[in-house]
Amino acid sequence: MSEPSFQDRLDALVGTEMRSGGPAVAPDPVNQPMIRHWAAAFEDDNPVYTDVEFAEASRFGSIVAPPLMLQTWTMGTPMITGIKERGGAPQPSDDRGPLTVFDEAGFIGTLASNSEFEINRYLRLGEVVSATTVIESISNEKTTRIGRGHFVTWATTYTVDGGELVGTQRFRILKFIPGSAV
Amino acid sequence: MSTSRTTLTIADVHVGDELPLLVIDMTATVVVAGAIATRDFMPVHHDRSYANAQGSPEIFMNILSDTAYCSRFVTDWAGPEAMVRKLAIRLGAPAFANSVLTYTGAVTQTSVVDGEGIVEISVRAVNDLGEHASGTVTIGLPVR
Repeated sequence: MSEPSFQDRLDALVGTEMRSGGPAVAPDPVNQPMIRHWAAAFEDDNPVYTDVEFAEASRFGSIVAPPLMLQTWTMGTPMITGIKERGGAPQPSDDRGPLTVFDEAGFIGTLASNSEFEINRYLRLGEVVSATTVIESISNEKTTRIGRGHFVTWATTYTVDGGELVGTQRFRILKFIPGSAV
Repeated sequence: MSTSRTTLTIADVHVGDELPLLVIDMTATVVVAGAIATRDFMPVHHDRSYANAQGSPEIFMNILSDTAYCSRFVTDWAGPEAMVRKLAIRLGAPAFANSVLTYTGAVTQTSVVDGEGIVEISVRAVNDLGEHASGTVTIGLPVR
């Protein structure tokens, strides 16, 4: 039997989960320190994120997390040593996930191109977010401004304790060969 | 501009209304602060020598910061009880450190659904390289 071609390997990725070990679970529940850090970084002084009295009198009834922090809660806790050599992967791992197929073929560059959120409701302090991410599609090879590559689109569903769906996200990246721009 | 303490109602909003500009002086500090606050440790967002090796002249803003600024841009205008229901952006030219990023936006659609005012806003962020990001934000507002 011959080795599967690169295209066969890409086709096989569609529909697979990005993580083999189940959903990504946030290392910490939704919490005020991380919200305050985020609000300070973006100079977003919306009082429903940090002002208890204001938030309790608002439609939300309590402090809520900024809706666009949804993706942040489940980002992996990084091991800083070696992060550069791993191209930004937060943890060293033998199982780098399905996108290893691209890296092995020279498409080592990664650039985000699209992000689309639907927010069902805002998160409250103490809630623990889980994210399940499935590869939805992979484009044919494209020639872009920064080089040759494939667009990879995945869909993430975010749930909290008890499985309640709080939001969904569609995310697209370009996996490309650095230096291949014409 | 900062978030007002009062929230617009759907009656305050009309198709064609323009949002107040949001201008971000994109220093390296701004890029790094946004990347770390969103727990994105990709070196292209904090390490210039790494960014150079990847073919970029500078570190550049991560996409989680883009979506953060888009939501802030809209709620600064609409008020704290506006609820962001959808946000979709696509990126064009990078937002490198030491540039200036300007957000513009306008209301494209309004409706009332199940007792909530729904407003669709088209958003665009430009810098000296051209269009950095464009997209749509949908928010829910009180009807009165």
